Amino acid sequence: MEIIFQILIDGLVIGAFYSLVALGYTMVYGIIKLLNFAHGDLYMMGAFIGFTFLSIFTGDGGVNTGLLGVGIVFIGTMVIVGLLGMGVERIAYRPLLLAPRLSILITAIGVSLSLEYTSMIGWGASYKVYPIILPNDGLQILGTQITFAQIGMILLSALLMLGLRLFIDKTIYGKAMRAIALDQTACSLMGVNVHQIIALTFFIGASLAAGAGIMSGIYYGTINFMMGFIIGLKAFTAAVLGGIGNITGAMLGGLVLGVIEAFGTFYFGGSWKDVLAFGILILFLVFKPTGILGAKEMERM
Amino acid sequence: MKPLLKLTDVNSYYGKIHALKNINLEINEGEIVALLGSNGAGKSTTLKTISGLIKPKSGIIEWNAKSIVGVPAHKIVEAGIIHVPEGRRIFGGLTVTENLELGAFTFRKDKKWIKDGIERSFDLFPRLKERAKQLAGTLSGGEQQMVAISRGLMGNPKLLMLDEPSMGLAPIIVQEIMRIIQEINKQGTTILLIEQNAKAALRLANRGYLIEIGNIVMHDTAEVLREDDKIIKAYLGA
Repeated sequence: MEIIFQILIDGLVIGAFYSLVALGYTMVYGIIKLLNFAHGDLYMMGAFIGFTFLSIFTGDGGVNTGLLGVGIVFIGTMVIVGLLGMGVERIAYRPLLLAPRLSILITAIGVSLSLEYTSMIGWGASYKVYPIILPNDGLQILGTQITFAQIGMILLSALLMLGLRLFIDKTIYGKAMRAIALDQTACSLMGVNVHQIIALTFFIGASLAAGAGIMSGIYYGTINFMMGFIIGLKAFTAAVLGGIGNITGAMLGGLVLGVIEAFGTFYFGGSWKDVLAFGILILFLVFKPTGILGAKEMERM
Repeated sequence: MKPLLKLTDVNSYYGKIHALKNINLEINEGEIVALLGSNGAGKSTTLKTISGLIKPKSGIIEWNAKSIVGVPAHKIVEAGIIHVPEGRRIFGGLTVTENLELGAFTFRKDKKWIKDGIERSFDLFPRLKERAKQLAGTLSGGEQQMVAISRGLMGNPKLLMLDEPSMGLAPIIVQEIMRIIQEINKQGTTILLIEQNAKAALRLANRGYLIEIGNIVMHDTAEVLREDDKIIKAYLGA
């Protein structure tokens, strides 16, 4: 029983990362029907920019930065990567908005490679050790050890997702995003600057990915310029699992995928983890391409 | 008196088709102007050209004596021209209230305007009040048209352009919509109305233009157009 609870917690932490990245995927897909294959690399950029900030704060030692310092690093990194996401949209995708879907998809792969190798040139190809050491203390719940870091990450992810849900549901910009997903032309006839709202969508998606990037750097301890590739695919899986274009679906899909992977690792061994994740992707694409929540909601956002 | 909106020799293309050929059109403040013509004559293209969805190849479009050619559609809305497009184009996955709020996007910082505007919409169309929280896509055709018109009014237009507001609606609903259009006009909004239903349109309008394969072939006061043989034969039914 304890072991199952332990696996569940581990799965939820990983799943929260997947959810945060999947949200950007699904938002961009919802609004301009683009599978942004460069999205995972924005997560990688978040991890690296956060790494640099933390290194400056801690002087490259293992000194504890403190909660305030970590908070500043998070916000600064999320803003920078958010702007980077907007830049990608402006330079690479906007000129192709009316082009055939395939052109923009191939461009996304090009953007992905550009970000990966820019990072390699800037930070090097080797693994970097994250300059922060987590305290190992935590709580004993049901005989299971849950560290404060795990609790913090799950809470922070939940907070970001709740904030996003409220933003999409309650603010006029969120409503404009949902409306653009339904009818861009009608939106511009309401006085909505469609390009601006699309740019905002990229900003939010990229900054959520960046947040997940830093957290994963802290959680796993090492980062690498290729780390965005596999999580991009996992986030895509999570988005499809929940119903692509659906915000709540992406959150749910990420958590479900994380938990399934954690159990898969335990029962079949770590080398089967990816097989399991992508096996699920294939099953969903074949038998229920609308995902868990896709068919129910009319809004595709 | 200077016209509110003036089109001079406007040429527009719809893809490769030369859809508008040297269109000249004027709308004065306070008027209801009808734009008549058969399917594919260029009525909708005229509205799209005015609202900035289509950029004309040549010609001048003046709004309050200032050129608005090349101004993006969302800026045209801010200037006071609002286009309620053909087929209503309401946001089916959003609630009626959310649709109205988006109509007031250019007033998004003015909470009072939005609140009052929603109240005004419900006064104009009491049926929408019961449907406020419903997804707009679940409404009947007539109710959806009511949402589309109210949503257009939320942006405080000086000129409201309506593209076939009666399309696909039962006669009794058409009457109600026409009555409301007149009401909106009385409250000071200038109206450019496209209608298949020429009879209803000419009953409402002060003046009318007849457009055929991209050319304005006739324009006159509504009284004269109602008596015109050609119009009677082609559009009013014998």
